[in-house]
Amino acid sequence: MNPEYQDILLAHSNDIIHRWMNELEDSKLKEYKSTISDEMIEQVNREFVNMIFDKLKNDSSRESIEQFSERIVNLGWPLGYLTGGMQSFRSICIRTLIEKIDRHDPETFLQVMDDVNQWVDPIKNELIDAYSSNWSNIISLQKVALQELSAPLIPVMDGVTIMPLVGTIDTDRAKLIMENLLDGVIKNRADVVLIDITGVPVVDTMVAHHIIQAAEAVRLIGATCILVGIRPEIAQTIVNLGIDLDKFPTKSTLKRGFEKALEMTDRQVIKTNDHDDKVVDDIIQSIDKE
Amino acid sequence: MRIPILKLQDYLLVSVQIELDDQTAMQFQEDLLNKIHESGATGVVVDLTSVEIIDSFIAKVLGDVVSMAELMGAKVVFTGIQPAVSMTLIDLGIHLKNVQTALDLEQGLVKLKQELEEK
Repeated sequence: MNPEYQDILLAHSNDIIHRWMNELEDSKLKEYKSTISDEMIEQVNREFVNMIFDKLKNDSSRESIEQFSERIVNLGWPLGYLTGGMQSFRSICIRTLIEKIDRHDPETFLQVMDDVNQWVDPIKNELIDAYSSNWSNIISLQKVALQELSAPLIPVMDGVTIMPLVGTIDTDRAKLIMENLLDGVIKNRADVVLIDITGVPVVDTMVAHHIIQAAEAVRLIGATCILVGIRPEIAQTIVNLGIDLDKFPTKSTLKRGFEKALEMTDRQVIKTNDHDDKVVDDIIQSIDKE
Repeated sequence: MRIPILKLQDYLLVSVQIELDDQTAMQFQEDLLNKIHESGATGVVVDLTSVEIIDSFIAKVLGDVVSMAELMGAKVVFTGIQPAVSMTLIDLGIHLKNVQTALDLEQGLVKLKQELEEK
C-alpha cells in the first residue's frame, strides 16, 4: 500500500473507527441485537477494528484472525456480521482517503480503491475461511459424537451382551451397527447378543433386512442373536410385510430376552435371601395351628 | 501348500493359517475327507482365525466340506471367523446355513461335544 495513504489512514484511525461503529449500529446486526448487550457489541467491534488496523501495520498474524472468527462462531453471530462489517469498513476507508487527498483525478481514485481493496480483501477472505472451517470443525465433532451414540454395546455378564438401538436405522447406521456388534462379540467373547429395538420407531423391510443380516453375521462368528423389544405394532408390521424372523429367537421385552439368554448359557437367577417368603410362611403356619 | 490336519482323540483339528486360494481349498477338501476316512473321526473343528478373506468359491467349498463330512458321519464346526469376513459373506448372500460356528477353538470343541452327545 502507498505509504502516503497508510499514514492518512493511521492518522485518522479514530475518526474511521467512530464512523464505522456508527454505521454498524444501523446495520444488519440489529436483528440479532435484542439478545446481545451493547457492551458486548462494542467490545467485539473494537476487537474487529483493531485486528484490521494491526494488519495494516503488518503485525497481525493469521492466528489472531482465526481466534477472532472462532469467537464470532462461539458467540453465534452470523457470517453477515463479518462480511457486512468489512464492506462498510472498506467504503468508509475509501471515503476518508478521498476526502483527505487533495488530488481528485480518476487515476488517484482508482489507485485508492485498489490499495484499500488489497488491504481489506485478504482479511475478509481469511475471516470467511476461518469462520467456515470453524463451522465444519463443529459439524465433524458432532458427527463423531452421533456415531458414538449410534451403536453402543454393553456387556452385562460373562457371555451376554446387549445392544440397545434407539432411533431410525438407515443403511449407514446399519453398517456401523453390524461392525460394532461383531467386533464387540469378539472382544467380549459373548455367546449371546441381545439386540433391543424398543427405541426403533419404524421397522420396515429394509430395517428388518439389516437386522437379519446382522444376526446372520453374528451366527457366523459363533454367537447367537436374540431380538428383543418387539412392540405389538412392530410385530404386526413384520408379519404383514411377510418378513421371516424364524431363524433367531425373538422376545417381547429385554427382560424375557435376558432370561432366554441365561437359559442358553446354562444359568439362572436365584434369589439369595428368601426372608420375606419365610415370614409369610410362618404366619400361615401359625394360623393353621390355631 | 497343504493345510495340516491334526488328530485329537475322536476329533480332527484344522487351523488354517494361510490365505486360502482355490487350489488350496480343493486340496484341503480332499485331504480332510481322506483323513476322516482314515481316522474315523466323529468331529472336526476348522479354525479360521487367521483367515482374512473368504470369497464365494472358498465359501462354497467350505460349505461343501461340511455336507460331505456329514455324509461320512463327522460333524464340522467352524471357529474364529473374523467380523470382516462374516460381513463380506453376508453381503455376498452366503449364509452357510448348514454350518455350525463357535467363537474360538475351545468353544468349538465344547459345541462339538454337545452335538455328538445329543445324537
